[in-house]
Amino acid sequence: MSRKLFPTQEIGSLKKPMWLLNLVKNPSISKEVKARTRNDAALLNIRTLEDLGLDIIYDGEVRRVEMYEEPVRYIKGFDFAGRIRSWDNKYYNKARVNGPVSYKRNFHEEEFKYTKEHSKRELKVPVTGAYTLADWSYNEYYKSKDDLILNLAKKVLRPLVKDLVKLGAKIIQIDEPAATSHPAEMDIFRESINETVKGINAKFVVHACFSGNDYMALAPQMSEIKAQQYTLEFANRDTWNLGLNDKARKGYQVLKAFREYGYKGEIGIGVIDVHVDEIEPPELVRDRILYAAKALGDPAKIYVNPDCGLRTRSRLVAFNKIKSQVKGAELARQKLS
Amino acid sequence: MISSYTLGIYPRSEELIEATRKNSSNLSSLFLKEKKEYIALEKKAKLGFVCDPLLEWDDIFRPFAQLNSVKAAALNRIYEMNTFYRRLSFNGKALSGAGKIVKSNLAVSLLPKNRAVCLPEPYTFAERHVSSAYKKNDEFAIFLAKLLRKEIDSLTKAGFKLIQLIAPSIAYNINKVDLDLVYDALNIVTKNLKAKTILHFYFGDVSKKIGKLLDLPVSGLGFDTTSTPISSIKKHSFSGKALAVGLVNSYNTKIENKKKCISEMNQILSKTKPEEAFVTTNFDLEYIPKEFARKKILILGQIASGVRNV
Repeated sequence: MSRKLFPTQEIGSLKKPMWLLNLVKNPSISKEVKARTRNDAALLNIRTLEDLGLDIIYDGEVRRVEMYEEPVRYIKGFDFAGRIRSWDNKYYNKARVNGPVSYKRNFHEEEFKYTKEHSKRELKVPVTGAYTLADWSYNEYYKSKDDLILNLAKKVLRPLVKDLVKLGAKIIQIDEPAATSHPAEMDIFRESINETVKGINAKFVVHACFSGNDYMALAPQMSEIKAQQYTLEFANRDTWNLGLNDKARKGYQVLKAFREYGYKGEIGIGVIDVHVDEIEPPELVRDRILYAAKALGDPAKIYVNPDCGLRTRSRLVAFNKIKSQVKGAELARQKLS
Repeated sequence: MISSYTLGIYPRSEELIEATRKNSSNLSSLFLKEKKEYIALEKKAKLGFVCDPLLEWDDIFRPFAQLNSVKAAALNRIYEMNTFYRRLSFNGKALSGAGKIVKSNLAVSLLPKNRAVCLPEPYTFAERHVSSAYKKNDEFAIFLAKLLRKEIDSLTKAGFKLIQLIAPSIAYNINKVDLDLVYDALNIVTKNLKAKTILHFYFGDVSKKIGKLLDLPVSGLGFDTTSTPISSIKKHSFSGKALAVGLVNSYNTKIENKKKCISEMNQILSKTKPEEAFVTTNFDLEYIPKEFARKKILILGQIASGVRNV
């Protein structure tokens, strides 16, 4: 299928509306009302992302607690140990693996069905990958971390993805923020993705956060991993100066290395920094896209997205950033037309 | 004779986590209550050295952001952990204000006489942060060594008898670290110091460099045994040095088998013959929830006492 240059997409999460959080935490509200309200919130996200002009969307992960705790709740073999600090006063609920892991049911079924029913856009379903689930948990059952990762890939992620594809999912994004935090573990990371997708007919996208070595540990593996696209962070290491030179676009230099390592697939380039409130001007987004297209050597391989999920920003800031992202992609298309 | 202590920051209780998130009005009293509880627990466990649980510290470097010339900036990953610290930006060469920072962030009055404190060693500090005044990391490390010395002098005056110098950056970068620089920086920190100093390695396997690390100007070395194998520690003589063995794992909720740890410790001591020995946690207890941290503190004391009684 031929498509326009520089398709735009989101990574996954948006901040949940305060009215939703207040309502779902209220014990006096019935389950039925909470379910209807979650649907309302999902619909609001879907329509907003469509109206902002994104080509590929989802529901802002509005029904999920967050990307780790949500799947762990539904995987047999885990139990929550308690909250652990991420930074400052931010914590996450960390689980331990104390038995063999197994898949119980498609825990993303409801959100996928609802999103599919209410949007005509292409949908990209984010699922948290086996490597990250293992890395963020205490392994107190399997002999090695590798064993845990491969068991999660084969016995949990693969059946989950199969079930999503059976329901009609065509693009699956495997979220692996932990992937690059252990450069020495890239072999097992590669194997975990390949085991997850084995025998499944869908487009696979791998989302990995930046972690200290500028994706150089990932670069040699990219061609060996059975994914058609990587959505990666670039904007938070780039300058805010306009221009297409290496100095202005220092955050995107690593794309050249991907090419040198023989990677021929697509890259979803992060053009929006999700850690700051300032809105990137569309002209800056344009220059980032044009530079990336040249560095990778094929504009048709460039997709455009924020660096990561936008849940760390207010909804207003997130939507303004997406607006600028879409406008910037349009400016880049005009430049190449 | 074997002693014991914990390292670094302790986990907050669920109640305290919620209070910090909501900035509750009773936050200060909750912090104090929980500090007292932890210190009482350390005493109950009969740890050789008692530490402030550092509950108000957002990371091990953060108190230094209170210096006039220092700002806490972007979040950075703590090595390969799913945890982040704020990189500090040092904007000057002046040491004004140094010497009061750490002490003012400790509950000194709550601690017994056998008190210990945990600080980053200069190489780790320099490797993790930035300076606009010092472009070269070695100069920055020496600057930080001087800063730390002022802090440590103040702490020893306040009765701290053991200074734990945590060295994750040395361990993590063990194959490229300039040990001459580490030596020089540590020399500034420890020269003629009356308190004991233990340089503690975690987040990296230092087994191939233990021989060289033994030459560093500190009272002793400490090891996370999940990253530096016990078998490699046993190969070295610790004659004239102290040895701290991080046998209690702060990255796992399983409670250690006391008998097995006592036996392991006895074997290590018989091989290494240190001047003084400690059994410790491998790193900060804040990587496990409070419920498990409490159990780990108690088992740590039992292991130390078991070894002592052999």
